[in-house]
Amino acid sequence: MLNILIVDDSLIIRKKLTKLIEKLGHSVLYDASNGQEAIDAYGSKKPDLVTMDITMPDMDGITAVKEIIKLDSEAKIIMVTSHGQEDMVIKSIQAGAVGYILKPITEDKLAASIGEVFIEYAVNEDDEDILEDDY
Amino acid sequence: MMILDALILQIKLFLSEDMEISDIEVIETHDSTNLELDRLELRDYTSMIATGGKLNAMIVISYDMKLLNHLVEVFMDGEEVSDEEKQEIIDSVSGETINTIMGLALPQFPGRGKGVTITPPITVNDATNIKKYKNSRIISATIQTEYGCLSISALGSEDSIK
Repeated sequence: MLNILIVDDSLIIRKKLTKLIEKLGHSVLYDASNGQEAIDAYGSKKPDLVTMDITMPDMDGITAVKEIIKLDSEAKIIMVTSHGQEDMVIKSIQAGAVGYILKPITEDKLAASIGEVFIEYAVNEDDEDILEDDY
Repeated sequence: MMILDALILQIKLFLSEDMEISDIEVIETHDSTNLELDRLELRDYTSMIATGGKLNAMIVISYDMKLLNHLVEVFMDGEEVSDEEKQEIIDSVSGETINTIMGLALPQFPGRGKGVTITPPITVNDATNIKKYKNSRIISATIQTEYGCLSISALGSEDSIK
């Protein structure tokens, strides 16, 4: 079971991710609503994985990724993004993120994304097509 | 594809595929360059996203409350909404809806939306209209569903809103 930190300014997305993460058998350590809160929570909670929104007020997701990577170069961060934000995804990966999920978020997409980062949770090949079909 | 066409297409797909709405029809479109339209009338609840970079504009979505309540129900997937969280949930659904639609529509904007940035959505309460300023342009469509209507609009300078 993974301990996961959710970062998103949208309450409804935090709730949805919490539900899906728990359905997949993992645990939500904390949910943060902005980048600074995420950095503080990462430092104190040491999650196995972070799901990070890109567009947030105060501090965006890319800046938060950079700051978390400064704290822990091995941090595993998956970006949660919309279509049309490809440039932002590339910047996030360059900043140290290890993957992304395209909205709308589904259980299959989340499971496939987690499986790409943690091999022990990898889904079978048929399910991986779900992610690749999106881009 | 023009900005308004791209937004309408993605709203229709979003409402039908993700929001369990079957009866969707564009009942009205407006363009301030063809009409003496000097303001954008808003419905019960409104969210907007500003775009920057290669497109300086404001994209506005405005809902009838009954329709937004339906979206909240679908987003919550059967989970009860507490009174303390209700307002934040409504704001969140309204903002997330325009965020998703913009994300999906952007690659279909003129120039494929390349070099266009978007801000986090903001929600407006207790406003009835947005007034057009001098040479700005407003294009707008009203979409009717079995749960009521929403309007989607783009506001900006005449040369940027295509």
